[in-house]
Amino acid sequence: MSGRKKSLLKVIILGDSSVGKTSLMNQYVNKRFSNQYKATIGADFCTKEVVVNDRVVTMQIWDTAGQERFQSLGVAFYRGADCCVLVYDVTAPNSFKNLDSWRDEFLIQASPRDPEHFPFVVLGNKVDLDNRQVSTRRAQQWCQSKNDIPYYETSAKEGFNVEMAFQVIAKNALELEAEAEVINDFPDQITLGSQNNRPGNPDNCQC
Amino acid sequence: MEVEQTSIRSDTNSTCEYLDAESDPDANEPETSLYQEADFEQEAEQQNHSIISELRDGLDATRETSASALSPEPGQHSKGLAASAESLALSTSTSAKTEDSIGGLEEEYDYQHDSLWRGQKKHIFILSEAGKPIFSLHGNEDKLATLFGVIQALVSFVQLGQDAITSIHAAGIKFAFMQRSSLILVAATRSNMSVQQLQLQLGDVYNQILSILTYSHMTKIFEKRKNFDLRRLLSGSERLFYNLLANDSSSAKVSNNIFTFLTNSILVFPLPTTVRSQITSAIHSNCSKIKNLVFAVLIANNKLIALVRMKKYSIHPADLRLIFNLIECSESFKSSENWSPICLPKFDMNGYLHAHVSYLANDCQACLLLLSVDRDAFFTLSEAKAKITEKLRKNHCLEAINKELQQPYNAKLYQQVVGIPELRHFLYKPKSTAQLLCPMLRHPYKSLEELESLEAIYCDLLHRIHNGSRPLKLIYEVKEREVVLAWATGTYELYAVFEPVVDKATVIKYVDNLIKWIEKEYDVYFIRNHATF
Repeated sequence: MSGRKKSLLKVIILGDSSVGKTSLMNQYVNKRFSNQYKATIGADFCTKEVVVNDRVVTMQIWDTAGQERFQSLGVAFYRGADCCVLVYDVTAPNSFKNLDSWRDEFLIQASPRDPEHFPFVVLGNKVDLDNRQVSTRRAQQWCQSKNDIPYYETSAKEGFNVEMAFQVIAKNALELEAEAEVINDFPDQITLGSQNNRPGNPDNCQC
Repeated sequence: MEVEQTSIRSDTNSTCEYLDAESDPDANEPETSLYQEADFEQEAEQQNHSIISELRDGLDATRETSASALSPEPGQHSKGLAASAESLALSTSTSAKTEDSIGGLEEEYDYQHDSLWRGQKKHIFILSEAGKPIFSLHGNEDKLATLFGVIQALVSFVQLGQDAITSIHAAGIKFAFMQRSSLILVAATRSNMSVQQLQLQLGDVYNQILSILTYSHMTKIFEKRKNFDLRRLLSGSERLFYNLLANDSSSAKVSNNIFTFLTNSILVFPLPTTVRSQITSAIHSNCSKIKNLVFAVLIANNKLIALVRMKKYSIHPADLRLIFNLIECSESFKSSENWSPICLPKFDMNGYLHAHVSYLANDCQACLLLLSVDRDAFFTLSEAKAKITEKLRKNHCLEAINKELQQPYNAKLYQQVVGIPELRHFLYKPKSTAQLLCPMLRHPYKSLEELESLEAIYCDLLHRIHNGSRPLKLIYEVKEREVVLAWATGTYELYAVFEPVVDKATVIKYVDNLIKWIEKEYDVYFIRNHATF
C-alpha cells in the first residue's frame, strides 16, 4: 500500500478445456511449456509484473478450469476482473463456437459496469499445429462483431505472440482503469440524532 | 487442517481428508497431492502448489506432519466434502525466478519461500472482494497477489454454500477470517491468540479503514467498480495500520496497546481528582456553548486525561483507540493546529467528524481534540482551545500534567503497592467502564520477545474467562516461569502475573492488597463519569 502509484490488474482466462489456458499462462510467466495435459481443477493463480507506458503493473492472472466438472467457483472468479482473455484452439472448431457462451457467461456473472466496452482479448491458440480448422478470417469476423475485440494467434508451445498478447491485455485493462476517476464526493455532513448515530450505547461498553 | 465454521471444531473426519503428511514443506517443488479421489490424483500431482501446502508453506517452517481434514459445517460432512475435495483445489504458481527466465522483470521476490516472511509471528492481509490486495503487514502486497487470490477463492467457495469461513487451523497456525462490506480481512498467527481475539484485532483494523474512508464512501466505490484498487485511497495512511499493529510489525516497538484491544478498553492518564476536575471544567466552560461540538478529548502519552461529551452521546473504546492511534503516529500535529476529518465508526460510520487537533502548549505535550459535525467550525474551536490552554496554565494544570508525564508511567503505582515485588504485571478492568489499569512494562517484560510471552499468557487467560460456551470465574495456575491468576467478579476483572516462587496463600494476600489499593486510589486511575455539554 506504500509508495508510488501502483497498479494491479485482475485478468481472467476463460475457454474450453484443453485449449491451452494453463499453457499460455505458464509460457507467459515461467517461459515453460509441457506437452503433457493436466486439467486445471478449480483454479490456478499466477503473478507477473509488466511495464506498460513506463508504469509497473502487477498482473494477477486467474487461470480457470475449462472442464465443467471442475468449475465450482463461478461468480467468485469473475468478480472485479479488469480484463478477460478468451482462448480457443484453432484446431478445434467447437472451442471457437463456444467463445460466445464464455463471453456471455462472463458478462452475466461479472456484470461489469460497462459491458459493451469491457476489455476482452481473444487468443487463437495452437497455431503451431498442422491441422488448423478455424481460419483467421472467421475469428476476426467474430471479434469485430463483438465490438472489435483484439484478436491474436498464439502458440503456447513455441511462445509465439504470447508476450505480445499479454502486453496488449495489460494495456487495454490499464486504459480502462485510468479512465475511471476516483469517486471523490465527500460524505454528507453528519446529522446529529439521525439513524446513523443514534444516541446511547447498546453494547454497554462505553469509556 | 480444520476449517472451523462454527465454534464446534471437527477433526474426526476421515472420508475425504487432504493428506499432505508426506510432503516436505520446505521442498522447492512440493509434490503435494491433495486429492484423494483417484481420478484426480494424477492431474493434481504435478501442480506447483496445492492450496493446502500453500497455506502451510506460506507460513509454517516447522516439519509438523499432521494428517489434516477439511470439514465444512459439522453434520453435513460427506456430501460437502466430496464437493470440496474437487473444487477447493486451487493451485498457485508463483512468479519465482526460473533459471531460464529472461529480462529484468523476472527478478521478483518470492515471499512464499522466504523463511523470514514465513517466520513472522503474525500476518494481516486485507483484500477486496475481487481478490485484489490492499494491505499486507509484512511484504509487498503486489508480490503476494497470488496468495490474495487464493484467500479470495477460499472465502468465496464457502460463501457459495451460503456460509462464511471463520477460521482455518493448520499445522499450529490459526487463520482468522472476517468479511465486512466489500472487504476480506485475514489474520494468521502462530501465537496464543484465539480466533475471537484475532477477530477483535481485525475489527480494529477494519475500523481504521472506515475511519479514513467512511463506510458509505467505500461501499459506493465498490458498488460502482468491483475491481477498484482501494490502495489508491489509502496511500499515505499506511503508518496508521503499522502503528495499530505495532507489536506485530517489524518495528520492534514495545507497546502496551495490545492489552487495550484485547480487553476492548482504553488507558487513563493518572491524575489527582482535583486536577482532573479542574481540567474538565476548563474544557466544559469554554466549549459548552459551541453548537455541534460532539466530543472534546484530551490525551497524553496514549492515555485519556479528560473527555467531555454531548449529552446523549457516549464514545466507544474502539473509536477512542482510533483517536489514540492517529495522534500517536502523527508527529506533524505537534507543530501546529490541525483540522482533520475523522470517521469514528462506532459513533457514525457514514460520515466524518471534523477534528480540531492541537497540543496544549509547547511546554505541555497533551493533545486536545475538539470533534464537531460542522466542517466550518475551525476558528470557533481554535479560539476555544486557546482559552482552555490559558485557563489550564493559570490554574497550574499544565504543570500537573507535565509532572505526571515526566514520571515513568505508574512508577507511583509500583512504589505504593510495593510490598509486592513479586507482582510482575497485571491488568485490572472495572465492569462498569471500558478503562484498563495496567502498569508499564518492566523487567522481565522489557523486550519485544518477552512481551510476547506476556501477551500469550493474557490471551490464554482472557480467552478462558470470556469463553462463550464455558466462561470461567477464577483461574490460578503455577507455570514453569510464573504464577498466573485471573479473577472475574461482579465489579471487575483482574489478571495478574507473579514470580514463580510465590505460594497460593501469598498470592491471595497480595491480590487482596492490590484490590484494596486500587479501590482506594480508584479516582486517580479511572474516570467514573464524563462531563457533558
